[in-house]
Amino acid sequence: MNNLQTDNAPSITVVKPHFIFAGIAFFVSTVLIVFAGESLLGPYFGVKIVAITHIAVLGWATMIIFGALYQLIPIVFETSLFSEKLAKINFWIFAISITLLGYSFWVNSLSDLLIYASFLLLISLLMFITNVLLTHKNSKKKNIQSRFIITSIYWLLVTVILGTLIAFNFRFGFFEKTYLHYLKIHAHAGLVGWFLLLIIGVASTLVPMFFVSHNTDEKKIKYSYYLINAGLLLMLFEWLVLGTGKLIYLDWLLISSGVLFFLAFAWESYKQRLRKTLDTGMKHTVISLLLLFAPVIISIILIMLHNNNSSLLLRITTLYGFSIIFGFITSLILGQTYKTLPFIIWLDKYKKHVGKAKTPMPKDLYSETLAGYQLYLYLASILVLGIALIFNILLLIKIGSYLILATALVYNINLFKIVLHKTKIEKL
Amino acid sequence: MMDKIEETKKHIYEILKSVMDPEIELNIVDLGLIYNLEYDGDKRVDIEMTLSTPACPLGDAIIINVKESIKKHYPDFDVNVKLVYDPPWNPSLISEEGKAKLGM
Repeated sequence: MNNLQTDNAPSITVVKPHFIFAGIAFFVSTVLIVFAGESLLGPYFGVKIVAITHIAVLGWATMIIFGALYQLIPIVFETSLFSEKLAKINFWIFAISITLLGYSFWVNSLSDLLIYASFLLLISLLMFITNVLLTHKNSKKKNIQSRFIITSIYWLLVTVILGTLIAFNFRFGFFEKTYLHYLKIHAHAGLVGWFLLLIIGVASTLVPMFFVSHNTDEKKIKYSYYLINAGLLLMLFEWLVLGTGKLIYLDWLLISSGVLFFLAFAWESYKQRLRKTLDTGMKHTVISLLLLFAPVIISIILIMLHNNNSSLLLRITTLYGFSIIFGFITSLILGQTYKTLPFIIWLDKYKKHVGKAKTPMPKDLYSETLAGYQLYLYLASILVLGIALIFNILLLIKIGSYLILATALVYNINLFKIVLHKTKIEKL
Repeated sequence: MMDKIEETKKHIYEILKSVMDPEIELNIVDLGLIYNLEYDGDKRVDIEMTLSTPACPLGDAIIINVKESIKKHYPDFDVNVKLVYDPPWNPSLISEEGKAKLGM
């Protein structure tokens, strides 16, 4: 045996449904953006915005990350997934809970359906966390990448526990402070603890691999790990225990420095890259990394203006979340889908034919031209929506929402082209 | 005899130039993934090669491709591929021709 990493790869039937559900959820979230219209200019905690946020962060981002992690964890941990069966059952419970959760926010059923939806979500995430932790237990390999993945999963646990508490509080009302106080912690545990840490951990392997660059400095990734976690823990202490607001600048400084160390790592990798021309997948990735500067800047503005309760501040808060979810995270997924899914499907369809027959290449499974349109539509949509949020312009909200809907449509055409690909071989 | 061995080895290198690394889109010979190739003069070929990254998800597709491509020309050969990560691959191993193709 050649001791190949791919020997531990999971079955395609575990991975593929996650990509399909995620693509559809992204499309649904953009349809809801169109329907939400002027609610997007209202308070960030309005039910329409909260519904869109949860469908995007869970149905789109977390769902596709789970699919990609099932593929990647065996490579990083150097062992096969603890249970594929658990992963398959988990997919369905997770998918149902997200659908119910999104619906209950959208129709404002906060004290009834939301309780059941969030409880189901808690169960599905506990199943995922168990599966990953038991896989990690079987792993002898301990490196910075696996530490990032495991830590981010603990932050996911914190996020979902807080989320469930907030949902139950709508019905039973046991919080001492307003739920918005806990919502702030819930959002940061999710966006910074879960998404950002996970993405940095995974990107520290994949970014140099896709740029084909070598000798990148792993120390920067380690600093990033400690700084962001220190910032998050301090933030928890500040918001749950102290409540004075004095440490918030220090929190910002720690987390932002962690982000900058990661960006410096990515920049170094970009500069050393062998492949000079970037395909759409990597252009989206570069844009995603540049967009990461936005929340760093917006958050310090929010901290400085925190006593000002104007509608501008509420809109900037929406912009803050938007820049992370539909900026950084979405651009990254829109690009990385092309760097991963065609290869996963290609391996499944053509591994047994290579060398014996003429096979297409992974990049032949989708249209690069469509991917190019997707990139431009995406850039236009976030620019227009960003300006609309800052300057309170409803017309631009409408134009931007149709642009992001078109982005999702084009993305889904390519996504389904890849997943529905039929084997095509010619004799050599 | 020596000529036959060298000639066959040269031919196998040529065959391996048809095996692409699907991610980098360069053949594995110019990419410098082949560390050593031995032919015993009879029917046995031993190849020592690496991958551009140990995490390469396309590793076994590349190895199958190496074996099958050689067997197409030499059906009764026994092709052994040994995967090594020491020394790890780095860009200085890319041939001049490969560098030109990648636009380096």
